[in-house]
Amino acid sequence: MASQVLVGPVEPSQAPLLARPYYGVDGTSPIVTSLAHVPEALDVAMPFIAVVLGPSAIGARAKELVVVRTSSLLECRYCVQTHSVVALESDVTATEVRALCGATPWANVFEREQERALLAWVDAVAGGRGAVPAEIGERLRAQHSEADVVELTLLCAATMMLNRYCSALELPTSPAALRRLAAEGLL
Amino acid sequence: MTAVAEAIGEGRIGGRLWLYANYHCNLRCSYCLTESAPGVKRRLLEPATMVARAREARDLGFTALGVTGGEPFLLDWMPELIAELAAILPVVVLSNATLFSGRRLAALEPLAGLPVQIQISLDRPDPEPNDEMRGPENFAKVLAAIPELVARGIGVRIATTIEDPAAYDPDERERLCALHRSLGVGDEDHVVRPIVHRGRAATNDLGVEAGFAELEPELTLTADGAFASPFGPTVRGGRLDTDLLVARTTAPLSVPASALARVAGARDGGTDSRLGIR
Repeated sequence: MASQVLVGPVEPSQAPLLARPYYGVDGTSPIVTSLAHVPEALDVAMPFIAVVLGPSAIGARAKELVVVRTSSLLECRYCVQTHSVVALESDVTATEVRALCGATPWANVFEREQERALLAWVDAVAGGRGAVPAEIGERLRAQHSEADVVELTLLCAATMMLNRYCSALELPTSPAALRRLAAEGLL
Repeated sequence: MTAVAEAIGEGRIGGRLWLYANYHCNLRCSYCLTESAPGVKRRLLEPATMVARAREARDLGFTALGVTGGEPFLLDWMPELIAELAAILPVVVLSNATLFSGRRLAALEPLAGLPVQIQISLDRPDPEPNDEMRGPENFAKVLAAIPELVARGIGVRIATTIEDPAAYDPDERERLCALHRSLGVGDEDHVVRPIVHRGRAATNDLGVEAGFAELEPELTLTADGAFASPFGPTVRGGRLDTDLLVARTTAPLSVPASALARVAGARDGGTDSRLGIR
């Protein structure tokens, strides 16, 4: 039996006043069209998401490593697929995407210590429970500033929040993203 | 002065807080915004909730209250609630006035002399065309109720809702005005407004288009959230419209009031938002 859509999208013609600025002319993310049911939540969530996941002092490649790896650990189909495309556009190779998704151990693919320390941190934060082992934090801190550690950890934590949101509501991946993943052999 | 009071003072948002008491109604008018009818989901705002929001409204700088539905007076506690609200801010309550006889009429007597007006729908000066839109015997019941209210010292306004006020036949308008004057309601308490193309009116292809750009922003609370206008929380095909939804949060009132002031302040400066409808 096909699963029923738990929460339908708010169509553009029904977009609440606070939600309208987040509706694009070329389509709108299902995160937006679902959050639009509660516009005051959308109104604070989207600027937050934009700050945490968008361009910042940390490079796009490092940020997408965090997002894809976190989403893979939390088994969020929507976030893995959507951000695999973003990762490909952020100088992450298809081979690296596969490794982030667990097809092969990432340690076999990523050679730079800065990225290995970051991925070890993500595995501990997103894949572990309770405190993160001190040595993993020290390894990250050796490669990144305090500000970077804060931002990367917030990125990992925000991604976890979105992973559970998108998984629970079974948000659909865009056809364009699926086509790109198919072309890269990532489906 | 609160930011909301400032927005009200500058005319960016209206000073009246609207409360949708309920959605059910004893009538099934052809142009009803909310598809109200006897069997629909009631979507009640509880009396204590309305009183609490009214107090917050006064503290934030709102200057008046409006109560609408559905037919508010289907709720037995409505007269008592209106009296309680009127002790906080002046109240307009919208009604079809078809229930004002016997026990229900007597229950309204404590409203005499209070800052309360009951706004009653009367669309045409003749029974047949009036009742065609509003239901059998509506005209006769309204004409019977208004003098009873006036005689008891209860404020009455009359609202006439028609397809196109600009094209309203002057002779018919004069007959309607003569009628409301004869019932004890002066011209200052008579409003003529267009049918709004939402809800059942849209289904029946009636009325003028009215979105956020055309409506005066007036904060409106319902069981489903806060809207930008009393013309916002409309229902079509059983589904609530959300295009004029401001927030699901209604308490504290400062949350939707501040949000409405913000979006109203961001509107195009040249927009003429006034359709002049209440």
